[in-house]
Amino acid sequence: MRQLTALLFFLASLWIPGFSHGAAYYEGKTLTIVVGYKPGGGYDRYARLFQKFLPRYIPGNPTVVIQNMPGANSIIAANHIYSVAKPDGLTIGTFNNGLVIAQLTKVEGVRFDLTKMAWIGSTASDAAILAVRADVPHKTVDDLRKAKEPIVIGATGPGSSTYDFPALLKEFAGLNFKLVPGYSSSSDVMLAIERKEADGRGGSYASILPFIERGLVRPMIRTRVVVPEIEKLPVDEDLAASAKGKAIMAVRSTPEIIYRPYAAPPGTPAETMKILRDAFAKASRDKDLLAEAKKTKLPIDFVAAEDAVKVVQEVLRQPPEMAQEITKYIKFGD
Amino acid sequence: MLDAFILGLATIFQWQTFLIMLLGIFLGFWVGLLPGLGGSTTLALMLPFIYKMSPVEAFAFLLGMHSVVATTGDITSVLFGVPGEGTTAATILDGHAMAKKGEAGRALGAALMSSLVGALIGAFALALSIPVVRPLVLTFGAPELFMLAVVGIAFISSLSGQGGRALLRGILGGLLGLLIAMVGQDPQAGVQRFTFGQLYLWGGLDLVPVLVGLFAIPEIIDLAIRGTAIAGDLPKENLSSGVWEGIKDTFRHFWLTVRCSLIGTFIGIMPGLGGGVAQWISYGHAVQSARGDEERRGFGRGDVRGVLGPGAANNSKEGGALIPTIAFGVPGSSAMAILLGAFFLQGIMPGPDMLDKYLVVTFSMVWTMVVANIITVAVSLIFLNQLAKLTLVRGSILIPFILFLAFIGAYTSNNHLGDLLVLLVFGLLGYAMICCGWPRAPLVLGFVLGKIAENNFYISTIRYGSSWLLRPVVLILIILTVVVLLYPFIRFERKGASEGDATA
Repeated sequence: MRQLTALLFFLASLWIPGFSHGAAYYEGKTLTIVVGYKPGGGYDRYARLFQKFLPRYIPGNPTVVIQNMPGANSIIAANHIYSVAKPDGLTIGTFNNGLVIAQLTKVEGVRFDLTKMAWIGSTASDAAILAVRADVPHKTVDDLRKAKEPIVIGATGPGSSTYDFPALLKEFAGLNFKLVPGYSSSSDVMLAIERKEADGRGGSYASILPFIERGLVRPMIRTRVVVPEIEKLPVDEDLAASAKGKAIMAVRSTPEIIYRPYAAPPGTPAETMKILRDAFAKASRDKDLLAEAKKTKLPIDFVAAEDAVKVVQEVLRQPPEMAQEITKYIKFGD
Repeated sequence: MLDAFILGLATIFQWQTFLIMLLGIFLGFWVGLLPGLGGSTTLALMLPFIYKMSPVEAFAFLLGMHSVVATTGDITSVLFGVPGEGTTAATILDGHAMAKKGEAGRALGAALMSSLVGALIGAFALALSIPVVRPLVLTFGAPELFMLAVVGIAFISSLSGQGGRALLRGILGGLLGLLIAMVGQDPQAGVQRFTFGQLYLWGGLDLVPVLVGLFAIPEIIDLAIRGTAIAGDLPKENLSSGVWEGIKDTFRHFWLTVRCSLIGTFIGIMPGLGGGVAQWISYGHAVQSARGDEERRGFGRGDVRGVLGPGAANNSKEGGALIPTIAFGVPGSSAMAILLGAFFLQGIMPGPDMLDKYLVVTFSMVWTMVVANIITVAVSLIFLNQLAKLTLVRGSILIPFILFLAFIGAYTSNNHLGDLLVLLVFGLLGYAMICCGWPRAPLVLGFVLGKIAENNFYISTIRYGSSWLLRPVVLILIILTVVVLLYPFIRFERKGASEGDATA
């Protein structure tokens, strides 16, 4: 009889939230998501979407709050997560996926080691694409190479996919591009395309998609990251003539697999990490979350922690002379 | 078109929509008053609440909130010299000076009434320009935007005060402003400029801590030194009776208010010019309206026209800023970028459809701006007289409160300790400038226009070589620059001539 009671209790502890160890931990606590940008941007909007649905999947239903910590293209937030925030599972952060390149190229101010972070995963992948205005006569990559007049590519500045991606295509794939950086935002570049000041742009597929649907631009080239509906586009690495070019392009685009990364401070206890990882994975499959994400045009495509770490390691595996070479072409910036 | 115009009005007066709008207005009212809460941040925070609303309700809520922020932001600027919003700093120059003269009521009346006029003109300019909006926006490329920035910078000549020495100080101040705008990573080569190895400075200096420092800190020091109330020891009788006077001022200088509203609308339409610019250019224009040296000297010391100009422009620009957002899906300001998210949430794709398929929604947005401002101004007028009495409270009681507002206001821009350092550095700079008789407006103008000028100049040159100099709109703007530059001298000549006539 006693054994039966014990068994019942054991079963109950599996069923009823608030019974197991983890539940006791998060019960009545506050989980803070540090966002490396101001409110309203992509990173912030993803974080706020998960803020709403995470409590459902964390035993103990903690309150989830967003703390915006903008600056230096989210290096400040990543430094904070790495060395200031306590590894107690109550503070996690989201920051630029390109920070791994910043670490590789030893950008001044970087005080974190992404391989040592306690990774949760990434809520979405995205791929950089190159799009040109629909009325530009060049239809193929070869046309872009042989264009008599250079094709004007509008960009915000070095360190963003609007600049680095077309710059590498110009350098290593011999496309006849003229890069014009200095636009204050990627949507300003879009307007420049509309008024024919620029002919095309690079940028994330998700952000250009509305303008493809509107018929303003058409996609021409993609990166190695596979995104549905643009699988058939030529891939940048296949267009590069040299092995060096291919390698640099690969390093630039690999972090896009973990486009919206989430991680906790190094040393966060394993059982707490399991709760957080499970919560993110389950929330990413939540029907209501997916419905809301679809409406807000935030594609969801969860990448698990172990795969995220692999991405980080793959980028950081470059030999020092390669890292040096990359510094010439990719400047991490704000 | 006319049907949609009327239908748009009818839709926001459905009781449910109207209540939601009132809620938005109530929120916006406080967001504007408190310097720590920015309009765009609050918009971002409110987005999740619109999931279950219809498009018209959602925009009544968000725009109702957004369009009154600049109106009530003026109140904080006038009363305490702390900009309630980054976009209401120019109101401080003369508005707070009036408060110190015991004319807080009049300044508030003028600020609110001009805000209303500005909002109405901005909204109707938006409505009227719908048929021509696409070609209008597409005419302004990088060369034109560069020249617009140059026209703005040319206003330094009007904002500098009289005489060669003052002009020199103004130009130096403007250059310092341009230099401050260079802080951060440059977008052409990715070089870090003046960042001193500080991550905080990568993105450049934020508008709000700089403005709060330049304007609020000197006022706080001044209040502490004087040891009196903001309005000093002046006779009290004209304090609260002034609101009506301020309203009348708006109509006394009606054409100035209209012109500044149009300037605001136009700057709002231009994507990338940013919210900080409109108020300063219209302030410059208001100063130009001074007749004679005597009047000119009155600016900065409490001329009501210095309140009317920016008061009108910072509201009218919101109507203009909607245009690129709805017609191209390209936001003109950070607030509009967040609003763009709201469009997606509602399943609406901003762009040509907004001027056609969703025209009723577009017009309901216009009407929301109009109605929200009318309601806010009407409600504010009821207790403005009470608010004005705050300027009679002893300084030692007010100072901790104002300091708190100033520090919170600066800190919320990045939630970083650097914000407070910037606040203090610019506070000291502002105080030193006042002590030495250097005007602060040229510095701010240089600061808000520096990046725009630099980037668009670069884009123009690399894209078009030197041929952009011959584009027709550029030529017109070059002429306008010369006129603006020479305006103080032309006026001086005319005056000299008329004095000559009198003696002859």
